[in-house]
Amino acid sequence: MDTIFSLDFILTVVQEAFRVKCIIFSALGVFTGVTVGAIPGIAGDIAIALLLPFIYNLEPVAALGLLLGIYKGSMFGGAISAISFGVPGTGGAVATVEDGYRAKKNGYPKKAMLTALYSSATGDVISTVILVFLALPLAMVALKFGPKEYFSLYVFAILMISLLLQGGMKKGLVAAAIGLLLGCIGMDPITGTTRLTFGIRHLRGGMPLIPLLIGMFAISELMTQYLKAWYHNRSKYSKESELSESSSKLSKESGYNPSKDIMSFKVYLSSLKATLIGCVMGTFIGALPGAGSSLAAFVSYGAAKRLSSHPEQFGKGSLEGVAAPEAGNSATVGSSLIPLIAFGIPGSATAALIGAAFMMMGMQPGPLMMQDNMPVMYTFFVVILYASIMNLGIGYFLIPIYAKISMVKPRFIFPVLFILAILGTYASRNSIIDIWLLLAAGLLGTLLKKAKYPLGPLVLAYIIGPGAERSLRQALLMGRGEWSSLLKSPIAIGFYAVTIVTIILITKAKSQEKFS
Amino acid sequence: MRIMRRRLNFVMLFVVILLLVFVSFSSLATQYPEEKAIRIIGPTAAGGANDIVSRMVTSSAQQIVGQRMDTIAMPGAGGQEAVHYVMDQPHDGYTFLISDYGCLITPALREELGYDLSDWKPVIQITQYLPTIFVREDSPIKDANDWIAKAKAEPNKFSIGHGTNLCPPHIGLIMIERATGMENTWVPTSGGSECLAFVLGGHVDIGASMPTTIAPSVNAGMVRALGLTSTERSKFLPDTPTFKELGYDVVSTSWLMIFAYKDVPEDRIEFMENKLIEALKTEGAVSMANKLNIEFLLQGREESQKIYNRTVEDLTSLFADLNMLKK
Repeated sequence: MDTIFSLDFILTVVQEAFRVKCIIFSALGVFTGVTVGAIPGIAGDIAIALLLPFIYNLEPVAALGLLLGIYKGSMFGGAISAISFGVPGTGGAVATVEDGYRAKKNGYPKKAMLTALYSSATGDVISTVILVFLALPLAMVALKFGPKEYFSLYVFAILMISLLLQGGMKKGLVAAAIGLLLGCIGMDPITGTTRLTFGIRHLRGGMPLIPLLIGMFAISELMTQYLKAWYHNRSKYSKESELSESSSKLSKESGYNPSKDIMSFKVYLSSLKATLIGCVMGTFIGALPGAGSSLAAFVSYGAAKRLSSHPEQFGKGSLEGVAAPEAGNSATVGSSLIPLIAFGIPGSATAALIGAAFMMMGMQPGPLMMQDNMPVMYTFFVVILYASIMNLGIGYFLIPIYAKISMVKPRFIFPVLFILAILGTYASRNSIIDIWLLLAAGLLGTLLKKAKYPLGPLVLAYIIGPGAERSLRQALLMGRGEWSSLLKSPIAIGFYAVTIVTIILITKAKSQEKFS
Repeated sequence: MRIMRRRLNFVMLFVVILLLVFVSFSSLATQYPEEKAIRIIGPTAAGGANDIVSRMVTSSAQQIVGQRMDTIAMPGAGGQEAVHYVMDQPHDGYTFLISDYGCLITPALREELGYDLSDWKPVIQITQYLPTIFVREDSPIKDANDWIAKAKAEPNKFSIGHGTNLCPPHIGLIMIERATGMENTWVPTSGGSECLAFVLGGHVDIGASMPTTIAPSVNAGMVRALGLTSTERSKFLPDTPTFKELGYDVVSTSWLMIFAYKDVPEDRIEFMENKLIEALKTEGAVSMANKLNIEFLLQGREESQKIYNRTVEDLTSLFADLNMLKK
């Protein structure tokens, strides 16, 4: 049998990986993923689930290239909607909204999207390289994470994001508390009994993510803009000077000068540090089964802000604030496959679908997967790498179109957005209750925005809250009810220590800001 | 002019009526299952074991059934989203549920969910799942007897990860403890994958899952299976004894069946039963099942109904003993 270092083996792998069919299907996958990811309510894993039955008719590597392409493309695609309309296309793009949408309002959507693209591609490539060369060591580290360690990570993430985002510490914590409460609706993660559903059958599975995300971001933005316009019209006849000022503000948001929205290598370099922080965070968190791209994105954002030379720019359209979460969430693509390939344990729901695809092709994910399928697996790795390059190319081609769409005047785009929000929400579960939940989430989001409460901590806490509760209760069960058992882990102690230090540093920085 | 217009209106009305009659006769003329695609709704996440089996069934059976068949994963609410979705669809034989007892029977015994267990009619049984107890390869627990002896000597010494609360591996674990008199600390997880990760990472001492989840790790020498709660050994874990062989009267298996909701015409259920069994006996289906570590244990309607009824009785009795039945 050829070893992986033999010329024959390398030639076989390269020949298989660069067959026209593989290239075409990978490109098709990336294009589909970017398009689907940009539509709020439709995530990449829906497209993958729909295509699973058809992969029987494809060769394994072409099929996997298609599915991986969708996975990668959708991670970047989520940023397009986040930057253009302030609506995250995927859960992983929620953190991108903070600065991405502000960047667009400031008049440079293309720069923001290109920053998102380049940092996505960087995160993607780095985590893929780590998948190929360091899968097993990283998987062994990931196994060290059990309930105690996960809980400490979730506490760190929620507190850090609550304290770091715009709006102030208290408001961030209140928003996170609301998110945790929303995450409690549905089934108890340990006993399976229902709670806080008020007898509504549709809430047995919890507050659904799509209506919450789209409602909180899209509907609340529509309502906010409508209220602004209504107020503007009311004051039109009573205060002429204020009228001209607010009129110019509105036209600034809807006006666009492409000649001032140009990306350069210098701009990319200025956000490279944030990109690399996202790559490291995203690769590590992606390898933890169940942690998720949202967590990776938020932790990357928080870390980048802490370590940035200009943290005051975050939340005001900073490109570093776009680069870090995008690198973070895209880096989870490769690393979420690490536990799948190493142990047969999928790192995410989408990785589980990829695992299903492997199984349907006769390859059993697990410790013997590489050994039993070496030529296919190395061909697969080459395909993953060039799919990342394709993501870059296809994204680069689509961005000018999306940038122009994003700057269409609000009075034209918002009705379309409203219809898409309703359709996307209904399409996810065919439930009219979801539409009511969408509108309720929109109302809540509007009130929170009006009172200047940040939405990021709320969404993060909602997404990871159930996992945090499950981890806490599992840890207490294992520790026979002793709270001190939560500290019987050096990793957990490390996260708690970092959390305390972060809180102290942030509090100190904010006090100094107040005095100066 | 007026007369012309009236004639034109009459002609148009006639054409519309003709079209409607044609369409209605067309639909009457079609035979089952020609009207539309057949859907198998699964209550677990896409990519999971049940979902993969369901996709295998739909892809194998399409040509034989003579109609497109789709698998739709509808996880959520502990499987109840899928269950209620099937209930709410027309009972015309085009929408079926694929489930084990964990998503269908267990929740209904514990709370009022809007259906009676007798409302569900098994079409076929596809396979059986065999709850398996396993440990990490370097565990100090040598075998099942060693585990039982140590656990009886020191109650709650060992922590055991299993899937969600009262899932089939958890039920199997409960049955073992009742038969042996030992006590362990149960740690619910989100499913077989998390359970395996906890065992491999040393966070729990023992795991309870299914052969499909742990077989690759067993074959790689990373975990050891201690025993199964079935009557016969699994072909994927041929060296692992059953608890019955070890002298403990413990039999707890789960099955995977396809169900029709009440009022689906009997002739359509019979049609699906015959076609599905025919499809799953083909060489292609068997080969695909082997690749997926699935062992077919096909049963028709009658036998599946007996197995289903027995499971309902056994679980009702168990939950009554544990004071877990709905009030």
